Amino acid sequence: MNCLEFRREKLADPRRLPPETQAHASGCPACAAFAREVDESERALDRALIVPVPDGLVDRILFQSRRPRRAWRAWALAASILIAVALGFSLWDGSKNANEYARLAIEHVVMEPESFAVTRNPDPEAFRTLVQNLGGSVKDLPGKIRYIRLCPFEDGLGWHVVFETPEGLATLFLVPGKKPRAAQAASVDGWSAVVHPIERGYYAIVTASSDATSRFRQMLRDCIVWSA
Amino acid sequence: MRAYGADLYRFAYWLCRDRHAAEDLVQEACLRAWRSWPELRDLSQAKAWLMIIVRNEHARSYSRRRNETNLDDMHENELPSMPSFEAGLETAEVVRQLPENYREPLLLQVLGGFSCAEIAGMLGTTAGAIMTRLTRARQALRQQYTDSAKRRTGR
Repeated sequence: MNCLEFRREKLADPRRLPPETQAHASGCPACAAFAREVDESERALDRALIVPVPDGLVDRILFQSRRPRRAWRAWALAASILIAVALGFSLWDGSKNANEYARLAIEHVVMEPESFAVTRNPDPEAFRTLVQNLGGSVKDLPGKIRYIRLCPFEDGLGWHVVFETPEGLATLFLVPGKKPRAAQAASVDGWSAVVHPIERGYYAIVTASSDATSRFRQMLRDCIVWSA
Repeated sequence: MRAYGADLYRFAYWLCRDRHAAEDLVQEACLRAWRSWPELRDLSQAKAWLMIIVRNEHARSYSRRRNETNLDDMHENELPSMPSFEAGLETAEVVRQLPENYREPLLLQVLGGFSCAEIAGMLGTTAGAIMTRLTRARQALRQQYTDSAKRRTGR
């Protein structure tokens, strides 16, 4: 057993290592340290995976007392497909590069309708950390956070954040890395988006009207200072 | 069912990442299992059998994500890396971001307690392929954990 074999086995099944594999770590300080690190991340994995189970789940299943199907899910799906098709046609024109980031931001919101229907990781401290990582400083929150999710973007990963504001729900994307050269704006089928480059990437705002987008943009200016 | 309900629900949750859909998924899977009960010849395999029914039900009910990638072609350093975040949420996000072919064996191992060989049998592949997927999945988790630890200690 060499160090590479040990590490491969440890990563593949850290909780049931054969005795001969374990014996390698007892004589190899580097692999012992590696094993401790893997065990620590396994504990974090356990904590993350053990999500709470709904009360009475088993009884509901055993007694077949099935909840009625949520019709709104079907309607939401149908609506999102219709909007996506409409967006597809409206995006299919010759000027797609002029405000591509803003249009893609709108498409992202339309393709992820659950961002408005669920609460997910609504942690203000996490939001502050995300902004900080992009070179910003949060003086105040522009609304109540409802949703934070790491999402795929065209050129990598970015954060999808939804705020509850007096004007309604507002989506903010924080995307590190590649950015547009200048600010962009787009309106598609009632959705309005603005995109602003910042030092380490860009942010995009999407709401259901251009007025709401402008107001949220102003709120964001008042609440977050970006480094030049 | 009482013995495996929590594991089945958690497995379903991490497959579809929606608690309402997960409950529906477990209910559908249990109905299907009930109808197919005579096909289960070895009661000691009941948990694996139920988890695979949940998996198949998930595959049947939910279309594959549009950005799904062929994992066997992926290089290790193409696995998702994480921007900074709180440690617990980071782990959950890494699990969510793992491609399905990596996430499934990881869930079956951690939640189901199955070995690489057992998972290979359940997913219809080889133990070597499962070891590779699990190794890559944990490399992504380990990278996240190492980055978090560095940030926490300021090093």
